[in-house]
Amino acid sequence: MSKLDLGNPEWRSQLPPSRKVAADAPVAACAFGRDGKTVAFALGDGRVRLLPADVKATEGAAPEPVHNGAVLSLIADPNGDGFLSGGDDGRLLRIAPDGSTTEVANQKGKWIDKLAAHRSNGSFAASVGKMALVVDKAGGCREFGPHQSTVAAIDFSKDGSRIATAHYGGITVWSIGQVTLPPRKFAWAGSHVALKWSTDGKFIATGTQENDIHVWRIAQASDMRMQGYPAKVKSLSWSADARWLYTSSQPVFTAWPFAGKGPEGKPPLQFGDEGAGLITVVAAHPAAEFVAGGYDSGELQLGDIKSRRSVVLKLSDGSAVSALAWSPDGLQLAAGNDNGDLLVVDLRR
Amino acid sequence: MAQPQVPVTVLTGYLGAGKTTLLNRILSEQHGKKYAVIVNEFGELGVDNDLVVNADEEVFEMNNGCICCTVRGDLIRIIEGLMKRKDKFDGILVETTGLADPGPVAQTFFTDDDVKARTRLDAIVTVVDAKHFLGQLEQGDEAEEQVAFADVILLNKTDLVSEDELKKVEDKIHSINRYARIHRTQKSRIELDAILDKGAFDLKRILEFEPDFLHHGHDHDHGDEVASLSFSSERPVDPDKFQKWMGALLQLKGQDILRSKGILAIDGAPKRYVYQGVHMMMDADWGTPWKDGEKRSSKLVFIGRNLDGENLKRGFEDCLK
Repeated sequence: MSKLDLGNPEWRSQLPPSRKVAADAPVAACAFGRDGKTVAFALGDGRVRLLPADVKATEGAAPEPVHNGAVLSLIADPNGDGFLSGGDDGRLLRIAPDGSTTEVANQKGKWIDKLAAHRSNGSFAASVGKMALVVDKAGGCREFGPHQSTVAAIDFSKDGSRIATAHYGGITVWSIGQVTLPPRKFAWAGSHVALKWSTDGKFIATGTQENDIHVWRIAQASDMRMQGYPAKVKSLSWSADARWLYTSSQPVFTAWPFAGKGPEGKPPLQFGDEGAGLITVVAAHPAAEFVAGGYDSGELQLGDIKSRRSVVLKLSDGSAVSALAWSPDGLQLAAGNDNGDLLVVDLRR
Repeated sequence: MAQPQVPVTVLTGYLGAGKTTLLNRILSEQHGKKYAVIVNEFGELGVDNDLVVNADEEVFEMNNGCICCTVRGDLIRIIEGLMKRKDKFDGILVETTGLADPGPVAQTFFTDDDVKARTRLDAIVTVVDAKHFLGQLEQGDEAEEQVAFADVILLNKTDLVSEDELKKVEDKIHSINRYARIHRTQKSRIELDAILDKGAFDLKRILEFEPDFLHHGHDHDHGDEVASLSFSSERPVDPDKFQKWMGALLQLKGQDILRSKGILAIDGAPKRYVYQGVHMMMDADWGTPWKDGEKRSSKLVFIGRNLDGENLKRGFEDCLK
C-alpha cells in the first residue's frame, strides 16, 4: 500500500481527484462491486445509482426507482459484480452492473433494513423483522428466528459457518451449515443497534442504545463494555488484521486495541484532526492500516494508525456523511451524505 | 444542516374505542398533508395513498439502572428509516394497541437523540368509549393510563349514552387528568386541527394547556387510582430549591408520576420558566416573558398514582420565597 502515503506533502496540500454527483435523496449505503469497476449508492427515493469506479469515465444517466419507497440497505453481490439492495417496500433485489434487477425476496409489510455477505462462500444474510434470512450460493434460502425483537444488525463469521444477529437483550449466534445446531445467545441488557464480527472471527462487537459498545470473546463467552461515547455508536469497523476496532461517535478516530491480551484496562488509541464534529461512519481499509471516517459536518478524513495522522479528503459541507465504502483494492473510497451528494475519491497517486 | 422536526401524534385508546375510525378519517380527508402512519394491526386501514408502516410494539428497558426508563425500540428504528426517505412528511401518526401503556412512546421522544433531532412529540390523543369506559377501568390499568397521559381526549360514541352517563364519564376523566381537553364525538368525527399540531409537548405553548382548576372531581380517597393534583402560588419560586426538590421527587416517585407540568414565576426572572416530565424524564426551558403589571403566579400539575397531596404541597411551598 505504498501508494497511500499520508506523509506525502502532496496529500496534505490538496484534495485528491474525485467525482461528485448530486442525487438529491439521502444516501443509506454505498458499495463497490466485487470487480471494483462499479460503485452503487442506495437512495431515499427508491433508486440505486450506479457509477463507474473510474472517476474520469462517463457517469451515465440517473436510473429509475427500483424500490417503492426508500432503499435501506445495499451490499456488493457475493456471487457477481453487481449488488443486493433491501427496501422499506419489503423487497430484496439483485442488481446487475448494467442496472437490471431481479427479485430475490418479497416480504410486503416488512423492511429489509440490514444486509451482510460472506467474503468468499457466496452467502448473504438479510434482516426481515424478527427473522434473519440467509441465502446460500446456490440460492437456497433459510430463515433463522424469531428473535425476541426486530433484528437490528447482522454479520457473518470469518469462516462463513455462522451469522450473528443484534437485538434487544444481546446477540444470537446461529450456525448456518447443513447440521442444525441450537443458537447461542450472548446476553447483555438493553438494545443492541450495530454489530460487527471481527476479521479474525474471535470477537463480536455491538453498539448499544445507551451509547456504549459491547464486545464478546466468542470462545470464552466473556465480554467487555466500553463507555463514554456522547452518542450511539452506529458504525463499527475491524481493521483487516483484527488488531483494531474502529468506532464512530467521537471527534477523532478511535481504535480499541485487540492485539495481544485485548483492550481490557487500556484506553483506545485516538488520532486525527479534531474540529470537524463527530464521526458518523468509519470504514477500515480492506488490507492496510488506514481508516476512513465521515463526520456529521460532512468532512471526510483518511487516517493512518501507524503514523497517527490524518488528511482531509473532502471538506465539510454541513450534511452528515451517512455511508462509506472502500473499493476491493483499497485505492478508492465512496461516500454519501444526507443531502444526496455521491462522492467517489481516487486515492491512486 | 438543521432540518425541521416532524410532528408526531400518538393515538391511544382502549380496544374498540374508535382509533382506527379516527385514523381512517384523518387519512381520507382532503387536507393536502402527507402523513406516515405507524400501526399495529395491519390491514384494518382502508387507505393506501399514505405510507403505512406495520410495527410490533417493542418496549425496551434502557440499560441505565432506571426501571421506568422504557422506550419503544421499534419506533426509534422506524423513525430513523422514515428519515431516509426523500419525500418528507407533514406528520407522523403512531397508533398504539388498545392495551398499550403510552409511557414508553412518550419517553422515546425524551430519550433518543436521533428521534429528538428529527421529530417532536406533538400530542397524545386518547379516544375514550363513552359507553364502556367506566367498565374498562375495572379491567386493568390501561384505560386509566391512556387517559392520564392524554393531552386531548375524544369522548367518543356519545350517541350511545345518556347525558347523565356522559357527565359521569367526564367527571371520571377529569379526576384522572385535569389537563386534557375533552371533545365529545360520534364516530370519531372531529376537526383535525383539534387533534393535530397542538404543540402539547412544546414548552413554548404549554400555557395553552392549562389545567382545569375550576373543575372539582370527586374528592374521595383515590388510593391506587390515577389522579391529578395541581398547586399554585403567587409567591416567587427559588430556582435552586425547586430544581433540587423536583429532581429528587422524580427520582424517587418517577414511576408513579405519569406526567408533570409546570409554569413557574422565578424570583427576579423576566420570563416564565416552563417544564414538563414523563415519569422521570424532564424538559425545561424559559417561556414567554411576563407582561408589565401582569400577576405572576406559578402552577404545577402532577398526574399519577399514590400522590401524597400534603407532601407535594409542602415540598412546593418550601421552594417559595
